[in-house]
Amino acid sequence: MLKIDHLTKRYGATLAVNDLDFEVQSGVVTGFLGPNGSGKSTTMRVIIGLDRPTSGRATINGQTYDQLKAPLREVGALLDAKALDPTRSARNHLRALALSNRIALKRVDEVLEFVGVASVAHKKVGGFSLGMSQRLGIAGALLGDPGILLFDEPVNGLDPEGIRWIRDFFRTLAKEGRTVFVSSHLMSEMAVSADQIIVIGRGKFITTGTVDQLTANAVGTVFVRSTDPTHLAEVLRQANGVVEPLNDDALSVSGLTSDQVGAAAFAAQVAVLELTPQRASLEDVFMTLTADSLEYGHKNAEVTP
Amino acid sequence: MSDTPSLMDTTRSEFLKFRTVRASFIGLATFVVLTVGIALLISLVISANWSQRSAIDKLAFDPVTTSLTGVFFAQFASGVLGARFITSEYASGAIRTTLAAVPRRVHLVLAKAIVLFAVFFVASEVVTFAGFSVAQMIYRANHLTTGSLSTSVDLRAVVFAGVFLTCLTLIGFGLGLLLRTTSITISVYVTVLLIIPIIINFFPTSWQDHVTKYLPANLGAAMMSPQLSTRSFSWGTSAIILAIYTVAVLVAGSVALSRRDA
Repeated sequence: MLKIDHLTKRYGATLAVNDLDFEVQSGVVTGFLGPNGSGKSTTMRVIIGLDRPTSGRATINGQTYDQLKAPLREVGALLDAKALDPTRSARNHLRALALSNRIALKRVDEVLEFVGVASVAHKKVGGFSLGMSQRLGIAGALLGDPGILLFDEPVNGLDPEGIRWIRDFFRTLAKEGRTVFVSSHLMSEMAVSADQIIVIGRGKFITTGTVDQLTANAVGTVFVRSTDPTHLAEVLRQANGVVEPLNDDALSVSGLTSDQVGAAAFAAQVAVLELTPQRASLEDVFMTLTADSLEYGHKNAEVTP
Repeated sequence: MSDTPSLMDTTRSEFLKFRTVRASFIGLATFVVLTVGIALLISLVISANWSQRSAIDKLAFDPVTTSLTGVFFAQFASGVLGARFITSEYASGAIRTTLAAVPRRVHLVLAKAIVLFAVFFVASEVVTFAGFSVAQMIYRANHLTTGSLSTSVDLRAVVFAGVFLTCLTLIGFGLGLLLRTTSITISVYVTVLLIIPIIINFFPTSWQDHVTKYLPANLGAAMMSPQLSTRSFSWGTSAIILAIYTVAVLVAGSVALSRRDA
């Protein structure tokens, strides 16, 4: 079991992780969601012992990472696919990892085959594309057949086929009863690949739940087209709705249900041409939740990778 | 076979890493060229110019020390190769993959030091013996005085030339652990070996005598010289001081690695 226990990590004046406290369940894919710079990678680095926590700790089955006798057989991690010696071959890279943790060398060829890089296993990894490096990194994570797997932004650099492959792969790993912890700054990705989501912003825990739970609590908007949008907007504002005019005859209304919007239009004698309640997407929920925590404060700007 | 990985497993892993990059072999080749090549060159030059030497110069001729001149060039290769065994991992980021596999950082330092010691002790002894033998062959062919490995003094000089180079490899590695960047590590290493002796040269002679004998290059010279000099420590004391330096730098390096975030 992977447990984050009141973890705080400070780099000089920067508070990268601020009292994070959660458990990651086994048997499901857990998404670790937050904008860039929110502390996802730092948390992962602390889990695998690369960075020392300022306070608190991360434990694997009750032990910190550096207490594990054969860490690669308990935790497989892919944090940075390019963190390899570019002049060593893929197979030799994995053989060195296998030797250090007493993993049978025949396992190297198995995982190379599994991720589909067996044909270039003898080539230097410096020449690998990001996608190939990601696959090699996944092979490295699987090498020790670990019960816990960590992936930091794994879909970066993968082609659509690779992305679909990796989603199915996460599901399979979870079905086998493993703990699968995947970070991403892309909601759309998490919405389709994760069962459980943990949202953080500025190093702090924001919320957790399934995709359905997160979107259910969020207030959706109502899309309405009418013959007199100007008048309807006035009426809806009087009813405490927040109205945003769209193109031509359409309005986007929040704070009111579609029933309330329909009734208000009827009372105002405005003919409604179209009335659609719009469920909040995970994307909307995420933007709302993390609006205060975007690192550079450009709240309405796109979160770019 | 126990299932728990040991220091031996980490060492096997690091040895595999050492021998699976071409740079290691290019480095070792440089090492051979510098020591054996320079021994060959110097012995040929000395032999060719022998007739023009003064009587005093002929008397001062030392067939052992001259055959080991290449060691003073090879010492730079030693340090750089030792340093690169860790700094190249920082340059590529591979250090993070390494530490994820071996989170006990003192283990990692020990394993890497064992690999470097084993490889470079053998390589250093091979090249110093080869350099010595090549030079003596040429001196003998030209009817000059020669050294012999059957005399304990000459044997000791050649063996300790190799010990000197091995220590420098480990010192380079320790500096690499401390400084992490190849270029900075090499700068510091060259400063200690080459620049500081030059600076000390400008100090008063009385003062120099107390300081220079502690410098790595002078310790090395004492270790591989058949004669005793009043301005340096004995070969044995020199070897002990150099060993202390080596251990000190390695300990400092492993403390730094253990304390810092990777």
